[in-house]
Amino acid sequence: MADFIQLFVNGLALGSVYALAALGFVIVYSATGVVNFAAGQFVMLGTFSGVAMMVNLGLPWPIGYGAALLAMVAFGMLFFTLVYLPLRASPVVTVIIGTVAVGIILQNAALLGFGSWPFRLTSPLEGVTLDIAGAVITAHAALTVVVTAVLVGLIWLLFYRTALGIGMRAVAQDMEAARLMGLNVNLLLALTWVLAAVLAGIAGLLLGPMWFADVNMGDPIALKAFAATIIGGFGSLPGAIAGGLIVGLTELLGASYISSAYKDLIAFVVMILFLLVRPQGVFGERIQDRG
Amino acid sequence: MRLRHPLLAALVILVLGGLLSLVLADYRLRLLNVSVISAIAVIGFNFAFGLAGLISLGSAAFVGFGAYSLAILTTAAGWSPWLAMIVAIVVTTLFATIIGTPLLRLKGHYLALATLGLNVSFTIVATNWIGLTGGTNGISNIPGLSLAGFAFDDERRFLWLALLFLAVCAAIAIALQHSRHGRAMMAVRDDETAARMIGIDVTRVKIAALCLSAAFAGLAGVLFATHMRFVAPEDFNYAHSIVYLAMLIVGGEGSVAGAIIGAVLLTFLPEWLRFLGDAYLAFFGLMLLLILIFLPTGLIGLATRVRDLAKKTAKRSTP
Repeated sequence: MADFIQLFVNGLALGSVYALAALGFVIVYSATGVVNFAAGQFVMLGTFSGVAMMVNLGLPWPIGYGAALLAMVAFGMLFFTLVYLPLRASPVVTVIIGTVAVGIILQNAALLGFGSWPFRLTSPLEGVTLDIAGAVITAHAALTVVVTAVLVGLIWLLFYRTALGIGMRAVAQDMEAARLMGLNVNLLLALTWVLAAVLAGIAGLLLGPMWFADVNMGDPIALKAFAATIIGGFGSLPGAIAGGLIVGLTELLGASYISSAYKDLIAFVVMILFLLVRPQGVFGERIQDRG
Repeated sequence: MRLRHPLLAALVILVLGGLLSLVLADYRLRLLNVSVISAIAVIGFNFAFGLAGLISLGSAAFVGFGAYSLAILTTAAGWSPWLAMIVAIVVTTLFATIIGTPLLRLKGHYLALATLGLNVSFTIVATNWIGLTGGTNGISNIPGLSLAGFAFDDERRFLWLALLFLAVCAAIAIALQHSRHGRAMMAVRDDETAARMIGIDVTRVKIAALCLSAAFAGLAGVLFATHMRFVAPEDFNYAHSIVYLAMLIVGGEGSVAGAIIGAVLLTFLPEWLRFLGDAYLAFFGLMLLLILIFLPTGLIGLATRVRDLAKKTAKRSTP
């Protein structure tokens, strides 16, 4: 039982990171229709802005986290201006390859800047453990789950209780109509990309202490975020969260009870099964063959 | 450079490639072999994506399926590589039919992510089914091809064989593209509902496009295996599928010449950028992004635009 609780909490923590990555992916997809294949590299960049601020510059953690997230805000704006705006009139597939190209640039720029040796990004709660019914859980895992839950709450408030969030939802629903209503569509789209970059940044900072900070960590994260998105329902915010948690739990429970070599395959089999049986996912997208 | 006639295209490939095979040195020949093999896969992929509009991110899995089938049949079962080649292509096509029939109900990015998942799953299975695939060590000692005592065992000789395959593939692809079947695929791409209205069996056309692309990918795979004499899982991971897609887009989708030009260009580009040292991959990504932004219709599209512009200017100057 203790073993199960430990696996379950660690699965939830990993799933929370996937959920945050998937959330950024889904927010961008709903607002802009862009399937962001650089989503994993966004998370990697988040981890490495943490490395840059706290390991290389040696900033104390409250300032370091803040600086890392500010760097992600700047990155989100840069991405919006240099990649999204020039490509937005292009066909879906060109945009897909465009984001892939950005992923290649980011990954190799990180490789140039930080080298191929992994870094250790420590948690502010390093070494602290909790004892729940005989299971030993790192405080960082618990923190990850709590941070994700709080963020989900904040995002809900943003989207459903503030004028800004309602504007972003209006843009996501119908860009032209939003423009006709006098909304500043470009500003709202820019904010969408910034929000996605910040969410990815937080995911990266939380993931750093769980894995090593490695410039190649983007691809596995992206693949899990895609699987989470499909399982939860493309374009659905609650779906991204549910999908992330399902993939995280499947990964850790599957590795321990089924096969550790095939743990990733389990997530993809679940994803393909969902695609075949219920392509709209758990929560479902309204417009089915968009894009 | 819009080659519409299959035989003419084949002739151009053989003459150009043959001349290159005589003047290039060994390392460049190796790269040219790699690009010819990629070109075959990309020409195939053009049926699925360029003609039928199926965004598949799993073509490397089909190449890998062909390569592993040949590797296993020749090393573990001791078959002749020629026989193994035919069986490998057939098996890859069958695999595509079985996998494709349910997946092709999906559209757009759903299909993209499903085929991406398929490709990742292929890599995981190839890495972990050690008894059959040798795991990360891969399969080595794959026999080379030879014909009537003539062994295609160095880069130049292999290139002659690969060019022959490419010429045949290009001719078949061009003939098919301009046939009823090619037009049916394009109709499905442009408007599925309208295509169904005029009596096209949309599902069948899609599966045919996928099977054609899998057959070409399977051939590319068996050529890869007999060229490298070695296969390993990372040669067929999903990043390669994305490179195939990028080759087609950079060259110009919907066109066989574009597929070949894109394959050659993107194979040689990293080598031309070697002088940048470790920065070359980042630069490669940047070039790709710039091509997408400034040449959305690919190089073939650029050629067409330049030709149209020249025609217009000519008309204007001769009233």
